[in-house]
Amino acid sequence: MPLLCVENLCIGYHTKKGLLKAVEGVSFSLEAGSSLGLVGESGCGKTTIGMALMGLLPPNGAISEGRILLDGVDLAQLSEEELRQVRWRDVAMIFQAAMNALNPVQRVSWQMTEAISTHRPELSKDELLRQVEGLFQLVGLPLARLHDFPHQYSGGMKQRAIIAMALALNPKLIIADEPTTALDVVVQDQILKETKALQEQFNMGIIFISHDISIVAEVCHHIGVMYAGQLVESGSTDQVFYAPRHPYTQALVNSFPTLTGEKKKLTPIPGEPPNLIGTIPGCRFCDRCPRSEAFCKLEPPQWQEVEAGHRVLCDHC
Amino acid sequence: MSPQPPPINVTDPILALERVSRIYFTKGNIFGRGGQRVVALNQLSLTIGRGEVFGLVGESGSGKTTAGRLIVRLEEPDEGTIRLEGKDITHLKGRQMRDYRRRVQMVFQDPYQSLNPQVSIADSVAEPLITNRIGDPRDYLQRVLEVLNTVGLSPAEDFVYRFPHQLSGGQRQRVAIARAIVVQPGLLVADEPTSMLDASYSAQIFDILLGVRGQMGATIIFITHSLAAARYLCDRIAVIYHGHLMEIGPAASVIANPKHPYTQALIDATPKFGRCEAVPVYGTLLSAPREAADLAGCPFFPRCRRAERLLCSRSYPDWHPAGPEQVALCHFAQPDHGAGAPAPGEACRLGGA
Amino acid sequence: MSKMLKASPQLARRHPWQERLAEDWRVFRGNLLGRIGMGLLILFGLMAVCSYIPPMVNAMYHPMTGVDPLVLKATPPSLRHWLGTDFMGRDIFSQLLAGARVAFMVGVSAAFMAVVLGTAFGMTAGYMGGFTETVLMRLADMIMVMPTLLIILMLAALFGKLNIWTIVLMIALFRWPSVSRVIRAQTLSLKQRPFIDAARVAGASHTRIIFRHIMPNVLPLAFLYMTFRVTAAIVIEAGLAFLGFGDPGTVSWGMMLQWVWKTGHMFTAPYWLLPPGICISLITLSFYMLGRAMDEVLDPRLREEGQRE
Repeated sequence: MPLLCVENLCIGYHTKKGLLKAVEGVSFSLEAGSSLGLVGESGCGKTTIGMALMGLLPPNGAISEGRILLDGVDLAQLSEEELRQVRWRDVAMIFQAAMNALNPVQRVSWQMTEAISTHRPELSKDELLRQVEGLFQLVGLPLARLHDFPHQYSGGMKQRAIIAMALALNPKLIIADEPTTALDVVVQDQILKETKALQEQFNMGIIFISHDISIVAEVCHHIGVMYAGQLVESGSTDQVFYAPRHPYTQALVNSFPTLTGEKKKLTPIPGEPPNLIGTIPGCRFCDRCPRSEAFCKLEPPQWQEVEAGHRVLCDHC
Repeated sequence: MSPQPPPINVTDPILALERVSRIYFTKGNIFGRGGQRVVALNQLSLTIGRGEVFGLVGESGSGKTTAGRLIVRLEEPDEGTIRLEGKDITHLKGRQMRDYRRRVQMVFQDPYQSLNPQVSIADSVAEPLITNRIGDPRDYLQRVLEVLNTVGLSPAEDFVYRFPHQLSGGQRQRVAIARAIVVQPGLLVADEPTSMLDASYSAQIFDILLGVRGQMGATIIFITHSLAAARYLCDRIAVIYHGHLMEIGPAASVIANPKHPYTQALIDATPKFGRCEAVPVYGTLLSAPREAADLAGCPFFPRCRRAERLLCSRSYPDWHPAGPEQVALCHFAQPDHGAGAPAPGEACRLGGA
Repeated sequence: MSKMLKASPQLARRHPWQERLAEDWRVFRGNLLGRIGMGLLILFGLMAVCSYIPPMVNAMYHPMTGVDPLVLKATPPSLRHWLGTDFMGRDIFSQLLAGARVAFMVGVSAAFMAVVLGTAFGMTAGYMGGFTETVLMRLADMIMVMPTLLIILMLAALFGKLNIWTIVLMIALFRWPSVSRVIRAQTLSLKQRPFIDAARVAGASHTRIIFRHIMPNVLPLAFLYMTFRVTAAIVIEAGLAFLGFGDPGTVSWGMMLQWVWKTGHMFTAPYWLLPPGICISLITLSFYMLGRAMDEVLDPRLREEGQRE
């Protein structure tokens, strides 16, 4: 049985202009010890899925349909209290704005022991501290900086501290939402490599959320491409990025500048993603799609399995 | 020893930075103590040719944005001279400064911040025309519509009366470019114009910038942290580290054949995307920085794996030729082999474990 | 094609300011405090407008000079005098209406002057920085720590009875510093925003940057502060009048309270004491509620909620 199984997930936000269907009919699964990259433009619903997995949707958002099975337990049905138990212990998150996730007026060591002790009240102070020291070594932070305040850390160090905190309770699943967006390439490279190594070491599942296809391509085994609230293509990294079948994935790959290989002209994606308030009868990408035909606009596309494990939400493939 | 200008001849230069330094002082405590001197740029010398797209590549804190701000005169350098077409513009004032503003424009990093939320698109784009009193005010709307079409916001009539918050990030950045090119500047500084945008918008912005160069013959200084973007867009690039110029040369050759350990480290760290059968791994970056023994030494010494303590920690390197039109500030840089020899290619990193 | 794309040409045809105001108005209407405050203010506004009617009906209903020849003392409410009469037989209801007019006049004009002064000083200090900023802000600090009511009382004692406009002016002069502090802080943060740099690169002069780029971003905040200043101005005027330093030629609610007190009707004529007291409390409360609602309308953080993914 897979570690995580998301089935037909639908999430809506109640806004002043009406119900915004941020995520519609998304299904995927993740084995323990493997990693899934969710890519897409901002507003495509990738962050919303991450928040839903953590049970941290904002007050105006709610799961309207579907199941999130973590080891067979449906997270969508849990009460707030039960979710609190699951959060950090089973599912941990590395946030987008990790720089701000640390409390500026408390020492890092204190913050980490506090976080652990809420879930493991039986541990003594010494044991807690030893565990934090272990975590520091794990993520490559110098022990001498254990009792510093967050502002004394560099951006990369803060991000490492956040990763250490996420690992603290040995979660089965980690959700990393743009964890390296604000970092320089050199630091980003180090963090990505370390995340990958830690994931292998502890056999965790990782869901890696990013708008940058080169980052997910580097870190993840499987890729899910999201567009306007839907998953439009999924498969292994090689399948999705080397042999993309959905026009949107192809457009993403063709609009991305590379460092190696021959220098070819980039093709921008014309237009803007659709507004997700109200219903969209047909394919969501058809307004920007070079291959769209009249019927695309009218009927919802069907999933096609083009190869083993490589699925595409497009009728042309 | 202080940095020498890179020995590269540029035919028909439009802009020249001559040993330009910018030093910031951080505020100390209440008694004025503890204030620090931060050198953002250390005697930077650059010459940029007319009509080229010149890339300024570096990490945050490298001084690349400071260089851009000095060029558009949002700040003045503490030392050195900036020349536009041979004329010293370092301390221009009044009328001449206004004239300079018509010729040098800038596109800022964050389009969510660089457009005034209270000003409509039409007024934003027309502002440089109004302030510089160019042409007949009755033609401004027409001109604005033209420029909006140029940057691909069409039909432009749909956009002119909107406000920034009604546009997507990519559209806002196109408005910002329209505003910069409405006065037809000869030089355009683009400061990380895509780093705040979704990757899917970047290609649009790149195409527009290339179009600006092609149609208006403008010179573009493209400031970026992404070597991949620089490779796509630029004719020549300069790599800077902590305010020091490290390597300069044609974009393709600097990226395919970097000679400075820092450039090599940057290339190592960039996620590769695409078929990468023979991606060299240079491994020039020390994982734990060492102490810098002497301020006079090579600025990259603390993090350089290839450095030799006796040499690199004490003497500032000279420019070494690294290829045609390419020079690197490293004691060990050589045109063909030596410092630049790549390690055997790692198997494609793409696809994970 | 999505709804948004179809709707956009119409959106563009509508003037953006209309759209923005409509949006603001929608947020405002969704706010209970704002609705209550607005309702109360409309009521007080009607009272102020209606204050011109009683003297036209009969001269004895003139709030200041009209005396009912049949009464000549404090009487409880009757059909002839809906809220009763004061010690000289003047109609309390028409005084109450006239008081609403004065409250609006004093409150709004004092607040407006304070906000104009505060905005001008705050923006100048914030934008210019350096010596100008130091001088202006120290001046503001000095005025801010002075107890307004006490100083005006002393001035009133020195110069005798004050005209209502003098009182308004003095309230404004003592109440701008807090506005200017807020505006200065806002200006400082705006000055750091990249769109100011962008304006400089576009060639905008300092005047243009101040008036075109900073002021429109500061004005909503200034208006917000104005609603709070109104409350303060009304309370100060009422306090002055109650202590006997008001403008003797004006019927304000504070003045009415003073008459109740001075003629010893404090505990014997609740029909006379309560209406002005309740009115003062309600009008300050309603301006405060209006301010709170506007706060929410203007707060961009609250506004963007739900619009982002």
